[in-house]
Amino acid sequence: MAEEVDARGFSCPQPVLMTLSKMREMGTGEIEVLVDNEVSRENVSRAAEGQGWKVDAVMKEAEEYRMLLRKQ
Amino acid sequence: MSLLKRIRKSFGTDPGSKPGHGRGISARGILIFQHTSEVIRAETLLKLAGFDVAVKGPPPEIRTGCDLAIEFPVISQLKVLQLLQQERIRPLHVLPLQDVLLEPVNLFHAKDFGDYLMVRAANMKITLSKADLRIVNVSGGGCPDVPYLADQLLGKRLDEAPEPRSLGSTLCGYALQLAFEELRRRCPG
Repeated sequence: MAEEVDARGFSCPQPVLMTLSKMREMGTGEIEVLVDNEVSRENVSRAAEGQGWKVDAVMKEAEEYRMLLRKQ
Repeated sequence: MSLLKRIRKSFGTDPGSKPGHGRGISARGILIFQHTSEVIRAETLLKLAGFDVAVKGPPPEIRTGCDLAIEFPVISQLKVLQLLQQERIRPLHVLPLQDVLLEPVNLFHAKDFGDYLMVRAANMKITLSKADLRIVNVSGGGCPDVPYLADQLLGKRLDEAPEPRSLGSTLCGYALQLAFEELRRRCPG
């Protein structure tokens, strides 16, 4: 079961910082991150990859993005 | 027209000029360039040569977008232009700075997120993890080189990261450089 980070309504860098905090807390596993703009999606992806997490899927729903991040 | 009259006219203090248009003589002038990359190069060269220059947002009446101008001491105009010419940098305009209010680009806004510190300069933001002084986020702008700049800086320690100035040549790169310098000032390591 993935942990969720709902970063909708936040502007950068907060979605990144919220995701990084969750990654630090979990170490490994699955995180679902919700953001509501393209810039946040890009920044969260970049930060996740930089921390060794894989962006497994990005689903666009209306103006929002649901991202699935995974680290074994 | 006499030299004195021409100077007065160019500085808006010609007694014959229209009422209301007279503005005080300023000791500063501005250089307008076509590209931001030229502004960045010119600023670097002029500062290295010891000129008292500052990058500012041009006055609205001559602004053509998100461009930049260099404010310089008029007394050094000849030397400034000679130096730029030697380096094949040609300003589009050289104007006396009258009473126009230029917007400084180096206005910083810092926000402390607890474990992280963000500094914004103009349109760019850079965020650092306080624990290990690593850059965790670069955002803002809208220039085409922002993803590249972010890619080059992310995950690097502040003392080992390349200077944004060396990577980008847009307004975003310039603003990021200022934010980067401010972060270094605040977090000397």
